[in-house]
Amino acid sequence: MSFLSPSPAFGESTSRLDRLQLAAVLGLILLGLAFVFSATMISESALSQPLIKQLWFRQLFWYGVGGGAAVLLCLVDYHTWTRWGGFIYWVSIVTLVAVMLFGTVRGGARRWFDLGFVSLQPSELAKLAFVLALANFLSRPPDELRLPVNFWKALALMGLPVLLIMKEPDLGSALVFIPTGLAMMLVAGVPRRFLFRLLGAGSIVATLFLVDILFAPPHWQIKLEEYQRHRLLVYFGQDFAPPDATKEQKQRMAELRRQKSYQPNQALRAVGSGGFWGKGWRQGSQTALGFLPPGAAHTDFIFSVIAEEKGFIGSVMVLTLYGIVLFTGLRIADRARDRLGKVLAAGVVTLLFSHIFINIGMNIRLMPVTGIPLPLLSYGGSSVLASMIAIGMLQNVHLYRKGY
Amino acid sequence: MLFFDQLRKNDAQLHWLGLMLGTGLALLLGGLWWVQIVGANRYQEMVEVQHYRTVRMPAARGQVLDRHQRILAENQPDYRINLYLEELSPAFREEYRRIRPRVVVTNELPIWKSWLGLPNVTTQFVRVQGAQLERQARFQVVHSVAERVSDILQTPVPLNASNFNYHYMHRRAMPFNLVSGLSPQLVARFEEKSSEGLEASVEMRGLRVYPYSNLTAQVVGFVRPDDRSAPGEDAYFSYRLPDYRGQIGIEGGLDQILRGRAGVKSVLVNSLLYRQNDTIWEPTLPGTNVVLTLDIELQRAATAALHQHIGVTGRGAVVVMEVHSGNILAMVSSPSYDPNRFTRRISHRDYQRILESTALRNRVTAEQYQAGSVFKLIVALAALETPAARFDPLEEYEVKANPATGRGIIWVGNHPFRDTVSPGLYNLERAIVKSSNAYFIALGLRPGVFERVIELGHRLHLGERFPADCLPLRQEAAGHFPSLEQIRKSSWQDGDTANICIGQGQMDVTPLQVAVMISAVANGGTVVMPRLVDRYIAPDSLAPTQITARGRIREQLGVSARHLKILHEAMLAETESPEGTGRYVQGCGYRVCGKTGTAELPVMREDGSGRKNTTWFGSFAPYAAPRFAVVIMVENGVSGGATCAPIAHDVYVALKAWETRNADDAPSVTAMVR
Repeated sequence: MSFLSPSPAFGESTSRLDRLQLAAVLGLILLGLAFVFSATMISESALSQPLIKQLWFRQLFWYGVGGGAAVLLCLVDYHTWTRWGGFIYWVSIVTLVAVMLFGTVRGGARRWFDLGFVSLQPSELAKLAFVLALANFLSRPPDELRLPVNFWKALALMGLPVLLIMKEPDLGSALVFIPTGLAMMLVAGVPRRFLFRLLGAGSIVATLFLVDILFAPPHWQIKLEEYQRHRLLVYFGQDFAPPDATKEQKQRMAELRRQKSYQPNQALRAVGSGGFWGKGWRQGSQTALGFLPPGAAHTDFIFSVIAEEKGFIGSVMVLTLYGIVLFTGLRIADRARDRLGKVLAAGVVTLLFSHIFINIGMNIRLMPVTGIPLPLLSYGGSSVLASMIAIGMLQNVHLYRKGY
Repeated sequence: MLFFDQLRKNDAQLHWLGLMLGTGLALLLGGLWWVQIVGANRYQEMVEVQHYRTVRMPAARGQVLDRHQRILAENQPDYRINLYLEELSPAFREEYRRIRPRVVVTNELPIWKSWLGLPNVTTQFVRVQGAQLERQARFQVVHSVAERVSDILQTPVPLNASNFNYHYMHRRAMPFNLVSGLSPQLVARFEEKSSEGLEASVEMRGLRVYPYSNLTAQVVGFVRPDDRSAPGEDAYFSYRLPDYRGQIGIEGGLDQILRGRAGVKSVLVNSLLYRQNDTIWEPTLPGTNVVLTLDIELQRAATAALHQHIGVTGRGAVVVMEVHSGNILAMVSSPSYDPNRFTRRISHRDYQRILESTALRNRVTAEQYQAGSVFKLIVALAALETPAARFDPLEEYEVKANPATGRGIIWVGNHPFRDTVSPGLYNLERAIVKSSNAYFIALGLRPGVFERVIELGHRLHLGERFPADCLPLRQEAAGHFPSLEQIRKSSWQDGDTANICIGQGQMDVTPLQVAVMISAVANGGTVVMPRLVDRYIAPDSLAPTQITARGRIREQLGVSARHLKILHEAMLAETESPEGTGRYVQGCGYRVCGKTGTAELPVMREDGSGRKNTTWFGSFAPYAAPRFAVVIMVENGVSGGATCAPIAHDVYVALKAWETRNADDAPSVTAMVR
């Protein structure tokens, strides 16, 4: 097939692809390469390493792999893929269980499979598997969707990976499933009263949860990982110490709080100090001097690097590119051949949007710190691969919209 | 929204979704606008604060030189070995990793894991209080560097853990000083061997040194360690390199000139607070060198003369001044102290000891004394200058006898003034030679004379400070002298007048004021400005040398040359006639005109043994063409003639030798002036 050519966006017979979206994706890829380079090639020693060890090159490799995967994905009609959705979903559940048993521990969380030269984060791919499976599930006739039992089944489908990923623990990634699932149900035609009730109940639970975390006496609190609790406390501007703490304890907790709010504070300073025009590519002092933590600058905080070095202009550019990807995605959903395609595309779009919103929001303290990557920009094989496959899924829906 | 309109109108759900995404993106955009546009300045400031540390770099302090450019104060290199912590930071990490305790743990593996054959023994780092261990690791690294340095230098290098920790916590971006005060030999040895990857480097810092130590202590003064910002500089610095602040003497008075301008360096630090690089924002401007009119050889000779007669701890002063130019050639105050002790922090006890010895006071300028008989010269001059007094210097005045002592006495009102001379007939010359109190009191009480005395005193600016630019020592006393209004008041008694006429009572002078007075008598009635600073030499030789005004005239006495001549004759007789009180100055190589003085202070102790005399010898030479004024003052002396005249003799001998020597190389001296 003709779109096996390296750049399907500009091929002769590729009019069936959404070229605008692909152009925006290409723009994001280029930005990603440039700023992963900027965030990691700080020292002389980094520059003198062999190419294969330079992170921007690895990122390029993953873009290639992801692009290849997307192309392969497009070879087969999405109907076929969704028919396998259930199977893929259960495979992903198995990998999630497996990672809890065999995964590598990093920073207190067991999220990765270490394959030697690369490490994979199965939760990234589980998100897509979930979208595929839920789309498959929701594509049944609308009458069936009105049955509460199916609504509960859909919720269960969503709940299983959420619980597993929360257990890793990776609260941020787990939470991404919820808006995605809800949006898919909405688009699929699940009665809104179900959704509103769920949303209502959900927000009551969430409020109780937050009140519990923030204000309840220690032994009444829901067990969270310590760092998760701290992140929430930092986000809501709460003291770490319980009100009845001794002075010494309070002091220690204040110090701890200072440490815990260091990262979001520094990210905010990086973004803010970029100003309108930014400090210039590779001129970001927050990045170069290590105030943006070197381990996080090119992954979860890549947006801070872009915002510091390219300023508000750069931020707007990133948002515009994402806006194009998201709204072309919605357009694809709109023009999809059937409800399956529509739900699938809407799911992918919402998944991408959730990542973007949470990640950028975290850089400007709109959201608490969670380990959620920025699709297509953050360094990381699994994330890039998943993002590229997501784009491939959108293009697939677009490609097979007419059923020819 | 372009895409939004393209969505089919009937698909409400997608519309909803689109609306939500749009709102989300708009929220992000708004947030970014708030942070990056509205908050930009605030965040830029925060970032600047956390990235930069400003350092105050003091400039090289100017030298103080004598008239032949011999160094009185300079900066000697203090070689030190510094460690740059940012270069050691990888070693810190490595050492920490090495000493971090590990334990072997045997895990109870779940069945499936042991079934897979996973090892159940692992090593794990023990959870430790990291800070303590990190501190230990850092100290061990620095300690081993110190030991290597010590091996190279073959001298012990003491290292204090708490000092190092303090430095690490508070001054991490600055180099840590390992050793200081190295000799050039040690530095050479270190430089030779340090190529083998030692993270230490030699640096130099200027240490203020006064080579002539206590010879010039009161004139040159001293500095103290003080790194505060000078006026006009930034008040806030993250770090300050050690600097000095001039306290008194030339160092204090000309501190601003000598100090130059401190520079500003900014150190870029990374998130671990290690130094990344330096940028000089403002270069230092070295201080200006100050050349004094003083001659260190004369200063040494005058000091020796003083000390020979009154001892090292004796309290006295010598000032040698050129009568026409006001150039001060020697300014000696005794006792003295070693100014070098102040350049490092002086202990409180040492400081107290110096303070108690009164050595810090410059007795030439900052202490005021009763002038005693030296002031009789002015009384005589006033009488000669007052026609109404109808004073004839040859006319003879009879000093009445004091029946109690057999010495002279004069009654002013009903108060007796004792005289040390024997009763008899005195003319002006004899009265000066014998220093008769009664004669001058009688003279001062003649009509119009005393007002004239006060007027001359004012023309000599007695009771006033010198202009600040002429005596930049930060140590000066004004003295006291009555005003015309004061003496015209009814409360002013004849007894007060009588006291002034013999240089006592309500007047005090400094030795330098006496030198100016003597110079005025010697040079024909010109009240000169004393001149201590000869010129300023800019640090870069391109800037012109700035010579201070020479021979500045403060005032003219407005007296006739004939009257001064009479005075000169009398003063010559004082030193040359066999009964002159100043005869001990004879044989010094000059014909000296002098006047002794012995001011009696109130009895200090009840038995009268603590009687304090301020003794003086004011003089100029040579008689025929006066060039030098020499004033000697000794506290608690016997009498001007017995205590001070011999000292003046020695000073004149030195002056004669100095003049002869300078006559030989006079052209070179003028050449140096440019």
